[in-house]
Amino acid sequence: MQPPSSDVLRGTLDLLILKTLTLEPMHGWGIGQRIQQVSRGVLDANQGSLYPAFQRLEQKGWIDSEWRTTENNRRAKYYRLTAAGRRAVGAEAASWRRYVEAVELILQIT
Amino acid sequence: MSTLKGVAARLRAMVSPRSTENALNEEIQFHLDQETEKNIRLGMSPDAARREALVQFGGLTQAREAHHEVYAARPVEDFLSDARYTLRTMRRTPTLAAAAILTLALGVGANTAIFSAVNAVILQPLPFPSPDRLYMVWEENSEKGWYKQVAAPANMLDWKEQVDAFADVMGYTDTFGAATLTDGGEPTIVKPTHSTGNFFSVLGVRAALGRTFTDAETWQTGQNVAVLSHRLWRDRFGSDPKVIGRTIQLDGNPVQIVGVMPAGFAFPSDATDLWQPWGWNPQSRQQTYFRRAHWLSVIARVKPGVSQEAANTQLQSVVARLQRDFPATNTRMGAGITPLHEFLVGDTRLPLLVLLGSVGLLLLIACANVGNLMLVKASGREREAALRLALGAGRTRLIRQALTESLVTSLLGGLAGLTLGWWGTRALQAVQPAGMLRVSEFQFDWVVLAYVLAITTVSGLLFGLAPALWSSRRLPLDALKNGGRGGSESRRIRRWGERLVIGEIALALMLSIGAGLLVRSLLRLQQVDPGFDPTGVLTVRVPLPNGRYETDGKVLSFYARLDERLRGIAGVQSVGGVSQLSLETSGYTSDFTLEGWPSGTYGSEVAHRRVTPEYFRTMRTPVLAGRVITADDRADSPQVVVINEAFARKHFPGQDPVGKRVAFDRVPDSTTTWNTIVGVVKSQHQTKLSLEPQIEVFEPVTQSPSGLYMVLRTAGDPASLGPAVRRVVGELDPALAIESMRTMEEVRARSLARERFLTTLLLVFAGVGLALAVVGVYGVMAHMARRRVREMGIRLALGAQANDVRWLVVRNGVRLVVIGLVIGTAGALVATRTMQAMLFGVAPKDPLTFVAVPVVLILTALVATWVPATYASRADPATALRAE
Repeated sequence: MQPPSSDVLRGTLDLLILKTLTLEPMHGWGIGQRIQQVSRGVLDANQGSLYPAFQRLEQKGWIDSEWRTTENNRRAKYYRLTAAGRRAVGAEAASWRRYVEAVELILQIT
Repeated sequence: MSTLKGVAARLRAMVSPRSTENALNEEIQFHLDQETEKNIRLGMSPDAARREALVQFGGLTQAREAHHEVYAARPVEDFLSDARYTLRTMRRTPTLAAAAILTLALGVGANTAIFSAVNAVILQPLPFPSPDRLYMVWEENSEKGWYKQVAAPANMLDWKEQVDAFADVMGYTDTFGAATLTDGGEPTIVKPTHSTGNFFSVLGVRAALGRTFTDAETWQTGQNVAVLSHRLWRDRFGSDPKVIGRTIQLDGNPVQIVGVMPAGFAFPSDATDLWQPWGWNPQSRQQTYFRRAHWLSVIARVKPGVSQEAANTQLQSVVARLQRDFPATNTRMGAGITPLHEFLVGDTRLPLLVLLGSVGLLLLIACANVGNLMLVKASGREREAALRLALGAGRTRLIRQALTESLVTSLLGGLAGLTLGWWGTRALQAVQPAGMLRVSEFQFDWVVLAYVLAITTVSGLLFGLAPALWSSRRLPLDALKNGGRGGSESRRIRRWGERLVIGEIALALMLSIGAGLLVRSLLRLQQVDPGFDPTGVLTVRVPLPNGRYETDGKVLSFYARLDERLRGIAGVQSVGGVSQLSLETSGYTSDFTLEGWPSGTYGSEVAHRRVTPEYFRTMRTPVLAGRVITADDRADSPQVVVINEAFARKHFPGQDPVGKRVAFDRVPDSTTTWNTIVGVVKSQHQTKLSLEPQIEVFEPVTQSPSGLYMVLRTAGDPASLGPAVRRVVGELDPALAIESMRTMEEVRARSLARERFLTTLLLVFAGVGLALAVVGVYGVMAHMARRRVREMGIRLALGAQANDVRWLVVRNGVRLVVIGLVIGTAGALVATRTMQAMLFGVAPKDPLTFVAVPVVLILTALVATWVPATYASRADPATALRAE
């Protein structure tokens, strides 16, 4: 059994992936690297969990994928944001901000 | 759009799990390579770099599993693995599996057979173009007690011409009896249907070969033509296409074959061998008899878009006009229309629906039984279920597995049932009383298959529900703690089982009461005195071709010679002749007046039959007053009639009818023939034992010539006279064929064929249902007894007697059965009301049935509980206590 992963955590990863893909189509490893770099190493979680996330997002129709060759002439699966995905980023980001604000509020109280 | 893509991805994953998996592996490989390269660039050794990459990735298997979980095929794979698991457990417990599958197969098979009949007769549209535009047009007459009766030809012609809503109207009859076909070889009897020329065009069918009739052929064209059925063409003419244009002899008249119908066409019935247009004399239309005699079945095709209501309204205005214009014949003569399909299904609908209801009950019983089996099976696995729950298996997952198990079982049962049903359908078709199920061939079409699939799935869900809910509702801690034995969960499972038994008993009771009522009704019918003694009587009908026996004199002298020759056969005691056989068809009916009645008073609907002097003696019909017809009643002697008891009772109460005179006119005038009543005989049932005898007169055949059935009485077996009778007929005229030769017992049996058919079917269903229910009671009681063996052991150890223990178990069983019986009785009281029209001499609430059937059921159930009870009472205290 998979350790229970709450929807919040899942949603976070999804949002990070979507956000990363707004810049350009990328392959899985690249996405992982980018998230790590941008978050200055803070978000350096389980890389393996990226791939189920890709599938989830693909199923929702938020991202697309195709096999392409890298600069080093290797076959890699590139992910790209779909139109629906682009809309979703906004909504997801907004709901994330609301969530963070809520958590912040609670933290300030105590 | 996005959902579509998701679905497509899932489908891909399901169709080729290997390729999605490969893609994932390649992707992960790429990821690891990149990471390793990065690590090498950071200065690690290749080995360390690789290891670090793997650690960073964090578990390949989890990733793959998670991927799997997201993607797709999970539910399907679960289902398949559950199905495989089910098949494995079935192999481990083959008896249990076989019992479940067989039980279901019985239920599904019975449903398949009955439903395919319902489908063919009721659901399938008529095999004609735009069948919903076809209507039966019938006549009614409140004075004569007619409803939905055949019509008079002149009225039919007026409807055709004057009712604007009707695109066309045709008329036909197949009640004219048989014709003798001579065409070189042996004379054969064929069954013609006579019709107007537009018969086929109104139905919208074409000939397979040659042509059908023209509208003009309703009237005389100087040429007799016929269209053959596919069967006659095949059997008698060897499927010869050159048959078109050939002239055959039909009843001694030349008839030209103009067409052959396609194989599937069988209207008005499968019995029709050929169709002939009337060729009426145009003068007939003005004659009174064309409006007075009613004998045409009439079908109208309404114009497109005309509603039934609109068509009927228009018809009524024409009917009203005809009533005004022809008071002598059309006063009170009404008419109406019924959709053709509905009209043809007619009285077959109720019996079929009752049968469908019965097999529905049967299937429910089967489901309850299988549910019980599954419950027992599930209870054997309660520890497994508890363990899985404790280890974190989802409840829905457990329910799903239990349901999968029942679905697999029900599908196997359904498959076996379909096979059984296919066979049952053939059997049904073979044993059905001729003509009851209007179709010649039941097809296993998509409707039937869909129905079978539906009831199979529903059954699976029905009997799977109890075990499924039960296994998921369990608290894991409970089951693990007390080791899955005894205790509360056992009580819970028992309650489910008890409910099923109660339900089964209730259903079986309803079914048995239905069957019981039909049995009682059939017994009543068989006890009805037909008004004659059918034993030892052979009947034979030899139609006389009118082309060769064209005068009454020839007809009468033939029958006189036949009578004499039959009398000469060894073993024949007496020979009589009658125009219509009792319990088969009645003769024509007419109005009548009795001498001395005030002018204008008349009676209606007196039936007429013609007889020879020896008829009543041969049939052993008692003469109640006066005399019967004698040889002295010749054509030129005074006209006489014999009346039946019903006539005498109704019109001569407390008087002696002998010597009174009767005329068959409404208003007698100088041309009226007065017939002297010379005797009264006991009433014979004319068409059915279930109908009271009509008032009837018997005329001497010498004074009213007609075709005759000959009846022969013998002391021995009447059927053994057959060959001698054939020889006699052949010697008298080799061009004659025998239309029918049956014993009077056969005639009587045939008149009850439909009742017997339905009763037998319902009895079989009730028997199977009862057997299943009893097995169910036994199963639950046996399971309970085994479960409680420890308790019984303790009771015995503490000094209880074996009898006490036995009664404990029996009492519990009886309690369930009684509850079931109460519920079942209530259900039966409601359900049997629908059978009212199928019962004779028995009320739907017949007290005897409602007492006897439950008594039988309770006795059988007692036996079923006795065995497990005895088992429990023999529990050895020591063993029982150790059994933990």
